[in-house]
Amino acid sequence: MLAARSRAASISRSRRVRYAEVIFGVVLLALPFIASDVFLIDRFGRYFTWAIFAISVDLIWGFGGVLTFGHAAFFGASGYLVAIFTERAGWFLPLPLWPAIGLAVLCVAMFAFLLSTLAFRGPYPMRGVELAVITLAVAYLLEQYARAGGQITGGQNGILFGERLELFGLDMHRGRGFYWLAGIALVVVYVLVRVFVNRRIGLVVRGIRENEDRVDLLGYDVPSIKIEVFTLSAALAAFGGAFFYVHEGIITPAAVGVAASTQVLLWVALGGRGTLLGPIIGTVVLQHLTATLSGTMLDTWIFVIGALLIVVVVVFPAGVLGFLDRGPAR
Amino acid sequence: MATKKTRAKRVLLGLVGVTALMGGLVACGGDDDSSGSGGEASGEPIKIGVAADLTGPFTIYGTSMQRSAQIAVDEINAAGGVLGRPLELVVEDTQTDVAVTTDKARKLIESDKVPMVLGPIGSDAADALFKTVAEDGKTVLIYPETYEGGKCHPLFFSTGAVPAQQIRPMLPVLQEEFGPKVLLFGADYVWPRRSFEIAKPIIEEIGGELVGEVYLPLIADDFTELVNAVRDAQPDYIYTLYPAVWGAALKALEDAGVLEGVGIGTTFVGDPGLEGLSAGAVGQYTALPFFTTAKGDGVANFLKAFQAKYGADQIPSGGEGLGSYNAIHLWAQAVEKAGTTDPSKVSEAMVGLEFNSPTGKVTVEPSHHVTQTIQLVKVGADMKHEFVQAFENQPSEESCSL
Repeated sequence: MLAARSRAASISRSRRVRYAEVIFGVVLLALPFIASDVFLIDRFGRYFTWAIFAISVDLIWGFGGVLTFGHAAFFGASGYLVAIFTERAGWFLPLPLWPAIGLAVLCVAMFAFLLSTLAFRGPYPMRGVELAVITLAVAYLLEQYARAGGQITGGQNGILFGERLELFGLDMHRGRGFYWLAGIALVVVYVLVRVFVNRRIGLVVRGIRENEDRVDLLGYDVPSIKIEVFTLSAALAAFGGAFFYVHEGIITPAAVGVAASTQVLLWVALGGRGTLLGPIIGTVVLQHLTATLSGTMLDTWIFVIGALLIVVVVVFPAGVLGFLDRGPAR
Repeated sequence: MATKKTRAKRVLLGLVGVTALMGGLVACGGDDDSSGSGGEASGEPIKIGVAADLTGPFTIYGTSMQRSAQIAVDEINAAGGVLGRPLELVVEDTQTDVAVTTDKARKLIESDKVPMVLGPIGSDAADALFKTVAEDGKTVLIYPETYEGGKCHPLFFSTGAVPAQQIRPMLPVLQEEFGPKVLLFGADYVWPRRSFEIAKPIIEEIGGELVGEVYLPLIADDFTELVNAVRDAQPDYIYTLYPAVWGAALKALEDAGVLEGVGIGTTFVGDPGLEGLSAGAVGQYTALPFFTTAKGDGVANFLKAFQAKYGADQIPSGGEGLGSYNAIHLWAQAVEKAGTTDPSKVSEAMVGLEFNSPTGKVTVEPSHHVTQTIQLVKVGADMKHEFVQAFENQPSEESCSL
């Protein structure tokens, strides 16, 4: 009986998902040794930082059931903050890179905490569509501010980073170094979130997704739990965003915008909402297909990707990993 | 029991699927690897990278850039190539997105190992590309688009028009036709801001009077501030650099009735940009390196080659088309002169080169920008550009000491 319950509580109740995890881990470890093109390895590192973003969205949307159209506000704002902290002078600035990243993640988490407190504990607690609209507005406002921010945000042209990713004297800015940095960051975030959702609190979070009123009736403080998950999710997005944009070397207003926020929803939905591993695979596969096809099928790639997305959504409504985990949707 | 069997099947399917997918991913990008690095063997094509926006808001410009470059490549190959080798374009769609541009530039430089990259369109993407090239130091970058100027690096060249080049010949014409009082209206980012800083001393020099300066967001939806400024300042003409939604701004001015007797000059509206402009655009002047209605056999021949390849209704846009065509020819000349595709040697060989472009002589300045012909046109009653005047040998007035 006990065993059965803990099985139900775990997200990887099927052995197949665990196999997929192992395979993914092996591929992750082997890839830098298989591929001889350093650029390709670097590109996968880039996908991994995006995958962290996808996991953060899976946590709040896939597990928490809170749809957000503005998560790039956190992913991008973190990049902007790191850029401002390292590139602008005055007061306590500029900061070295790593303290700047830490402070950026902290600032984003605090902002998310305030925003979600207002949303979930305010005079009119928000649910579903209302919250989606608020997140949309936040992303829109940030994008407009970034464009109009003059000396601070660099306006339309954004900010160029002068700093390089280095750790213990090792250059991790590009190529294999960046691959390992991003890969380890991804694994850490994955394990962290997996543990979180498999613990008792994770079960409650999923309960809220299924039926908020019932969880409330059972005596749980639903708003606090939602605030906690929202803040954690934003902090993870910020963590990924910091690495992504320092590696890019430039950040522009589109980074915090609505378009970037909706793209990530696609990666998550495609890979399988609420599966954690699915969004990673969704991100890597979709981004790699886009990057490759947009160089080889110049006139048609956008239609090919579009058609592929439709087919995948029709065949695997629960996402690729959702299918692996539960079989065809019933 | 049956379920167990199907489940086992599904496990197998899943495993095979995931493995195949991952293997495919690696193979997908992996096969690019062998291509670029060697290739000094004679007969093997020399690859040139093109980072062009073929999807997204800048599609028409990116497409024009890619096609014009291809025409130059076809011409060069028909004449025997460069160093006895044909040229080949490696085109990547940068999707009007800065992050994609960075990624594609890295791919072209590090994976394809091209000795030259042509692109991009937007000035934010140009910043990204410039940074990538400057950091890697392995590739010549030629930016073919009209831009604000100011970029300076041993491996960077610009074949587009820069502000002084367009403003200096255009403003006296506007002043003579409309009067001395000018209002500057631009989108709030570097291109308009730097252009207007360059325009101000020129206005003073020719005895004009600056009566107002308005900046609005790149894509504004309310033009009250502009309308009020025009109403209050009563300019004789407006010099505008509002590239994203000029049609909307023009409509607002027209609807408010403040355009009576006020002239308009721009440095960005190419032939395709006329689509969707209201009747208020009639009489609007524009200075750019290329228009389909510009005079000369060169222009007619370039247009003929373009339309023969891409269709009779297709035209290269105002700046980047010609800029790309010239860029490929100049680079090819420099490679012949240097006897190698080595970026720093080609860079040195570029300076001082001359090329007879479709619109007249183009000269590469020590500033790594070009002296070229600028065309001034005016929108006619049929909403088409009418040729007004060509200004030959206009220097960039950019200063970049390398």
